[in-house]
Amino acid sequence: MTVMEAQPRADVAAASLTGEAYRLKVRDWLRNELPGSYRSDSPQFSPPTLEQSIAWEAAMHRAGLSGMTWPTSYGGHGRTLREHLIVNQEIGALAMPDSVNSIGKELAGPIILAIGTEEQKKRFLPAILQMRNIWCQGFSEPEAGSDLAGLRTRAVRHGDIWRINGQKIWTSGAARSQRCLLLARTGPVEDRHRGLALFAVPLDAPGVRVRTIKSIDGKESFCEVFFDDVEVAQLDALGAPDEGWAAAIRVLEIERATNRMYRAWRFENELRHLISACKTDTVLAGLLADSHYAVRLAETVVDIEVLKAHVETAVDVLVNGGSIGARGSLAKLHWSEAHQRFAMLAMELLSKAPLPLAPSVKVALRRFEGIYLASRAETIYAGTTEIQLGIIADRILALSKGR
Amino acid sequence: MAMTEDGLSPADFAATAARAIAACAGFTARQQAERLGGDGLLGVTANEEVGGLGLSAAFAVPVAAAAGSGLLGFPLLETLLLGRLLQAPLPDVSRALVSGASCATIAWTNAVTAKAQGDLILLSGCIGRAPCAADADWLLVRVGDDATALVPATTSGVVLEGPTGLDLTMPEYTVRLDHVSIAERNLLPAGTWPLLQSDALVLRAAAIMGSAEACLVMAQEHASTRRQFGHALAYNQAIRHALARHKLGLESIRHAITRSLFGEAGALERNAAFLAAASHGVAISQGALQVHGGMGFTWDVPIHRHLRRILALQAQGDASGLLRALGQRYVTEIEPSSEAVA
Ligand SMILES: Cc1cc2nc3c(=O)[nH]c(=O)nc-3n(C[C@H](O)[C@H](O)[C@H](O)COP(=O)(O)OP(=O)(O)OC[C@H]3O[C@@H](n4cnc5c(N)ncnc54)[C@H](O)[C@@H]3O)c2cc1C
Repeated sequence: MTVMEAQPRADVAAASLTGEAYRLKVRDWLRNELPGSYRSDSPQFSPPTLEQSIAWEAAMHRAGLSGMTWPTSYGGHGRTLREHLIVNQEIGALAMPDSVNSIGKELAGPIILAIGTEEQKKRFLPAILQMRNIWCQGFSEPEAGSDLAGLRTRAVRHGDIWRINGQKIWTSGAARSQRCLLLARTGPVEDRHRGLALFAVPLDAPGVRVRTIKSIDGKESFCEVFFDDVEVAQLDALGAPDEGWAAAIRVLEIERATNRMYRAWRFENELRHLISACKTDTVLAGLLADSHYAVRLAETVVDIEVLKAHVETAVDVLVNGGSIGARGSLAKLHWSEAHQRFAMLAMELLSKAPLPLAPSVKVALRRFEGIYLASRAETIYAGTTEIQLGIIADRILALSKGR
Repeated sequence: MAMTEDGLSPADFAATAARAIAACAGFTARQQAERLGGDGLLGVTANEEVGGLGLSAAFAVPVAAAAGSGLLGFPLLETLLLGRLLQAPLPDVSRALVSGASCATIAWTNAVTAKAQGDLILLSGCIGRAPCAADADWLLVRVGDDATALVPATTSGVVLEGPTGLDLTMPEYTVRLDHVSIAERNLLPAGTWPLLQSDALVLRAAAIMGSAEACLVMAQEHASTRRQFGHALAYNQAIRHALARHKLGLESIRHAITRSLFGEAGALERNAAFLAAASHGVAISQGALQVHGGMGFTWDVPIHRHLRRILALQAQGDASGLLRALGQRYVTEIEPSSEAVA
């Protein structure tokens, strides 16, 4: 059965269940509907194509498992953040492919909800959830990475039209996206944080050119995007021309704290997969029993529990009406470094497998080589480690910078 | 977490505890017991029949944290744990501990053997890491695998050695029991030791958090006021980043403790809270010492006292042994992959 044909068996969207009953319903749906070949811990693993991913994510949405907290008037399910957390815990527990539209669902969507016009909400939000529009995030530039306030891509207004010129880089998924959440300058470069605006740029507009970049994991997931006299309607400008920086910072705080909330549970799935694969080989099983590896695996367990604690605290804060603010940097710093330590440990353990490789060790190697390579980016994207440390020092510890 | 029981919130306890602990400076053990007991802090989790408040562990956490940050020289964790453990089998002792009329401690390492002799039990062996044992009227010892016994400290055959260990404000003692006889009812059943250990994990984590927080505050203060090369130390990115890492460590301890107290939390979450505290706590206090430069190496700066306290707590909970056991248990519980379709 392909996902295209799949009809949700249990409609989780309609279920008015709470707590554990809701969790079981979600678990049941995911386990029944997720094709086995999509699971990267399965011997049958074969990553879904873009079309399959789109169909799968659209099916998840129909079943009530994305756009959880968005109002129903914009295609959401009007559920609570705690239910969103439950869904993420269940998603994490299955070695499911990452969303191809997480930027739409977790960054662009929330920002449009916060600062978009009614017309924009109606036009953009359902299209994101139904997977008719995939979004990318156009913030970074060749000369403006960590120093985002130095960006130079310029938007000049002519009546109801904005004319955009400049270049973005490291734009994940731009080649498969229909819209770009673009941060561009409307004032002089010297103004730094002022005079920046956000736009929802259609990527098929004349003058947009996307070039893919091959990354160390062999994928072509991120891109350079060039804007050459691209005309964008005022209808696609998000918020006021001066609101860009504040909105961008909000996007980044979301990205750091609650984006891919399933991370901790996915991390746990990876740890369990590593152990279960090692157990099929006598040499590796012996190493697991070794007290050196027992200690390192336990350190990973503690890292995972701490990550869950950070995520659940963030959810508590949000549910109680608070905002995450700079504290998103704490969670980001922790997960990125903890996951890198674990990826190193996995590579080290699996490198000791005797030849010929046992079939489950082969499956694990393929997965963990990918995880190791991809993890090298985790301390770079969404703000590098050094930038997170700077944010914690400036905004949480409020350490003086003065002489 | 705004959690309340009968209109009380854990945060209220933090303020009361900090005040009472500050007032204990310069007091003898007995005076401290009276003051802390008078403020209700020794019976936070013991039930009302023995004079306690009957509150959940969440309310003991701020008290333990305040004891850490205030470097209290009194076996508060042990008293909190014993007041609760003894409330059913030995309510009179429990009541005396909760009110502060008598003092008790626990020997955290090793076990003794027990032999019945008529109506009495004879205990023999050597146990260690008993904080403030010299001031205690009662001593709880581990018996065999997982039972415990409550020994009156003045019984003949009880010999204290020490103090040993790094903690100066809560000196630890080694205790020899040479055919020490106790009443049968003072021998508590199998299972009491693991119970105590498990409750102790969270309180220790809280005490370490209190100490670590005090260290970070001192380091922040020093970095903002001490000047080198014409500006405050905090101006330097290396210092800012080091302190930011310590802040992450501190918040990780805090969130892990909170998580271990609510929901379906069990042994894993408790272990994680203590282990996170043990590793980040040591790093934070050592890092604070480093930020103080030569000052940090002096007796005058209290960071060394916190470092000593944290190391003692880490050892009392056998953090490294616990970490290894956690890893082994985790590995054991996972089935090997099956080669079939998942
Ligand atoms: C896989 C991946 C996906 C990405 N996806 C997107 C995307 O979808 N959209 C998007 O807009 N961007 C994306 N990025 C870009 C990412 O946000 C930037 O790479 C990141 O902000 C760092 O900028 P930079 O690469 O220019 O490095 P630089 O800023 O040049 O930094 C280089 C090094 O110097 C350090 N450094 C810089 N400034 C300081 C300082 N003040 N103090 C101390 N150290 C400093 C950095 O920490 C880093 O180690 C992605 C990046 C990666 C790797």
